[in-house]
Amino acid sequence: MDITRRGFLKIAGGTLAAAGFGTGVGIKPAFAMPRKIQYAQEVPTICPYCGVGCGIIAHVRNGKVINTEGDPDHPISKGALCPKGGSLYQIANNDKRNKKVLYRAPGADAWKEVEWDWALEKITANLKKTRDEGFKLTNANGEVVNRCESIAAIGGAALDNEEVYALTKMNRALGLVYVEHQARI
Amino acid sequence: MAEFIKLIDVTKCTGCRGCQVACKQWNGLPAEQTRFFGSLQNPKDLSYDTWTLIRFDELEKDGQLKWVMRHDACMHCDWPACAKACPSPGALTKTEEGAVVHNTKYCIGCKACIAACPFDIPRNNPELEKMAKCTLCYDRITEGKQPACVTACPTGCLTFGTKDEMIEKAHKRAEKVGGTVYPNNPKYETHVLYVLPAGVGASDLQHTNPNPSMPLSVLLWKNLFKPFTLIGIGAVAGGAFLHYLTKGPHKVHEKKEGGE
Repeated sequence: MDITRRGFLKIAGGTLAAAGFGTGVGIKPAFAMPRKIQYAQEVPTICPYCGVGCGIIAHVRNGKVINTEGDPDHPISKGALCPKGGSLYQIANNDKRNKKVLYRAPGADAWKEVEWDWALEKITANLKKTRDEGFKLTNANGEVVNRCESIAAIGGAALDNEEVYALTKMNRALGLVYVEHQARI
Repeated sequence: MAEFIKLIDVTKCTGCRGCQVACKQWNGLPAEQTRFFGSLQNPKDLSYDTWTLIRFDELEKDGQLKWVMRHDACMHCDWPACAKACPSPGALTKTEEGAVVHNTKYCIGCKACIAACPFDIPRNNPELEKMAKCTLCYDRITEGKQPACVTACPTGCLTFGTKDEMIEKAHKRAEKVGGTVYPNNPKYETHVLYVLPAGVGASDLQHTNPNPSMPLSVLLWKNLFKPFTLIGIGAVAGGAFLHYLTKGPHKVHEKKEGGE
């Protein structure tokens, strides 16, 4: 590298100027830190996990959830969230989430990717087969019961009120009696 | 803007770690692969991706077990040793609100802040060679919001407010529970205060510093050696200028034919 005399003076001057900074700690406003939720739409929602029902604000930009946090105006939780509710963002954005249906045939040792249509039809067929085989019209005393004892249903805590209602309706219509919830087990 | 203080009432902490998750969530920090090491504390230590942590301490006092959960993060010192030691302008700044904020963009990865911090808070990422720590959610408090951990805290253990209000609240609460305020040091003010339960001192807990102070090495370096080097550089520059005035510009000697 060739350094001319003029170039050397420039470098020396620059070093001198740079060395002048940073001798002390001055209180100053830090750099402008843009808030990541600026101009995002705030959508209030309820935490899906347990029965407390904490309020959550989902910040949405261009149809995508960019942040979730506790709703400070919510009468029940006042913005507080447990670690489970605090990580709700990952329900909407998670690269570890399965995007395809995985199917493991009876006796098989590996999962294989299948289509949604095939999977739904398979579930329906299995459901009908099991129900038809185990359906009981009467009990031991000969009274009419019309129930299906060969299937049990377990609800998940991430289901919301309306989903649970629809699911229970379907379960009862099928004649299920073993209807449980994950939180009670 | 007013100065703020984050008050941590250790007596109210249940160890739910909602603050830990809220911190990761707001700052977009990834999870870590951890191993069980005999305590509910998880991860084991602060890191580049973990800016706050609940530390679980099992203490035996008068034959009784005391289980203390302490929210551990940057103390946001009034006179931050990390910012004093930092050689890169803009990488660590003390703001009007009391927060000590790092800017990864200007960090040169020299780790001087890690050596200087009296509370052992900043952490380095060996891959990126950058440091990171709690920023007191500077991007939230300047917008009138509370830090993410304070918003998330379900028990009211973490509270956030103006300096005078929080100091008064801390001492009132400490009096009520018979505990102490940490670090209650008029010579070393911080923008994070703890109320410790009765019978538990700061020295009983892990990762605390009951007598925080600016390290002597940083003081010597920044207040003594650095001004001397500046004077030295100035003297060299002044000398060169004087030399120019007295001797004039450098003249190129004409080459003589055939001569050495």
